[in-house]
Amino acid sequence: MMSRPEYPPELRRKNVKLALWVLVIVILMFITAVPFWVGLFELATGVR
Amino acid sequence: MTTATHAHADHEHHGPPSGLKRWLFSTNHKDIGTMYLVFALIMLFLGGASAMVIRAELFMPGLQLVQPDLYNNLVTNHALIMIFGAVMPAAAGLANWMIPLMIGAPDMALPRMNNLSFWILPAAALMLILSFVVPFFPGGGTQINTGWTLYPPLSLQVGMSMDFLIFAIHLLGVSSVLASINIIVTIFNMRAPGLRMMQLPIFVWAWLVTAFLLILVVPVLAAGVTMLLFDRHFGTSFFIAAGGGDPVLFQHLFWFFGHPEVYILILPSLGVLASILPTFSRKPLFGHHSLVGAMIAIAALGMIVWAHHQYTVGMSLAAVKYFMIMTILISIPVGLIIFNYMMTMWRGAMTFETPMLFTVAIILMFSFGGLTGVMLAVVPADMQYHDSMFVVAHFHYVLLPGAVWGLFAGVFYWLPKWTGHMYDEKLAKTFFWLHVVSFNITFFPQHFIGLAGMPRRIVDYNVMFTEFNMISSVGAFFFGISHLLFLYIIIKTVRGGEKAKARAWESAQGLEWEVESPPPHHTWTTPPTIKTA
Repeated sequence: MMSRPEYPPELRRKNVKLALWVLVIVILMFITAVPFWVGLFELATGVR
Repeated sequence: MTTATHAHADHEHHGPPSGLKRWLFSTNHKDIGTMYLVFALIMLFLGGASAMVIRAELFMPGLQLVQPDLYNNLVTNHALIMIFGAVMPAAAGLANWMIPLMIGAPDMALPRMNNLSFWILPAAALMLILSFVVPFFPGGGTQINTGWTLYPPLSLQVGMSMDFLIFAIHLLGVSSVLASINIIVTIFNMRAPGLRMMQLPIFVWAWLVTAFLLILVVPVLAAGVTMLLFDRHFGTSFFIAAGGGDPVLFQHLFWFFGHPEVYILILPSLGVLASILPTFSRKPLFGHHSLVGAMIAIAALGMIVWAHHQYTVGMSLAAVKYFMIMTILISIPVGLIIFNYMMTMWRGAMTFETPMLFTVAIILMFSFGGLTGVMLAVVPADMQYHDSMFVVAHFHYVLLPGAVWGLFAGVFYWLPKWTGHMYDEKLAKTFFWLHVVSFNITFFPQHFIGLAGMPRRIVDYNVMFTEFNMISSVGAFFFGISHLLFLYIIIKTVRGGEKAKARAWESAQGLEWEVESPPPHHTWTTPPTIKTA
């Protein structure tokens, strides 16, 4: 039997909600990688 | 840690499903943890095989076994397989097995996503291996001769194998991100009632910090290699100077990921030590809260020091000064962790079972690796050491003791829990001594040849370096062989041996020791009762 513990619906919602928030951070890091983390640093300091 | 682990183990006792389906469709954290560990072991042998060829080639000056391009391909593959295929999945295996048991959760928060995180890995590994073998086929293009850093413009000139590698990195990144999300959600939402964050074992904290590091830096690597892919195929010029781009930009992107990656590899292992030390010192862990603080400080500082890998590209003096100072600052939280671990042992009733032997060796050897790290952080010194064998010696002293040995220690420590059998202590100690001594024979001489001027990632070398390279290669062969003994010990323990008690080590503390050895398929379906001292 492919059983797994059934979590209460409230806990499942809470888990998915938090997972989606973390995913938002991941997406933001991906799309801002160049202009923010590196591009801004280069522009501000002239470091290459 | 002030948590007393008074708990009652009320578990379902039906067994796991049988056959291939159990593994393909498993959502059970223990099964998935086992799959991660087995996968990591297979990749360890693959990565190790490439290391053996590298050391065989370097046994003598001149070209013996492989041509320069293949040598560089091997160097690239060795690093990528060991980092992404062996160490990270092994740490994820420990996390999957132990975090739910340690926090009193019935499973990971998102069990089906856990299955997906694992099963992406074999596909990624296939892509990674294809990137190595494709150039051997007609029309397969040139070999990947860039090293794991994949710097352009060289990586823009490599054949289609680079595309396989970029795809492999994307897949590995997706797997890591999904696993990290799961770990974060599990730790925040699935703790047993009454178990507060500051009562969590350091291993769990270490993984929480690691998971946050992963979600912050893996997307940046993904962005970097995606831009590389666009430069290669879609006419963009992010890294092409002739088109107005900047190859150094890739170096910034890569090391923004690459330096925190070092801590991603090390922190879970340092967390393992915090479980082992109190058990075999028979004393509580020294400075639980400060260890949490130190790990967060390491992660925070680790994210703002990336360009110390690029001192020689010609940054401004202000920038290199900043990166030098911040890098050296990291030695403070790292030193605090080492201090706390030594204070845990201080005046303890210590015994030296294999996990403890590894722990003591890690404290010694990892500190040594850290010391050479401080040398490399100093800009004028690094100008000399950069891209020499000294760097190779340094990062192997950091990553083998700091990451791999911690994983070995964890495997020996928790193997009785996982399998229900005690491992063969005599064989395990033989493995420890063979492994640690041969490691030092392999990598210690590389400091000297590096300081004397032998560059890394070059297939040939000056005859003046021959003797030390021979010593290093002989050490490496024994080092490689020692892993066969490790494999034998694991198989022997899985197949049988002295029965392990629920608390396999008499002084072990923590919720994981409240359940049977091996634990039933489902654990903590009724949450444990947490008694706070």
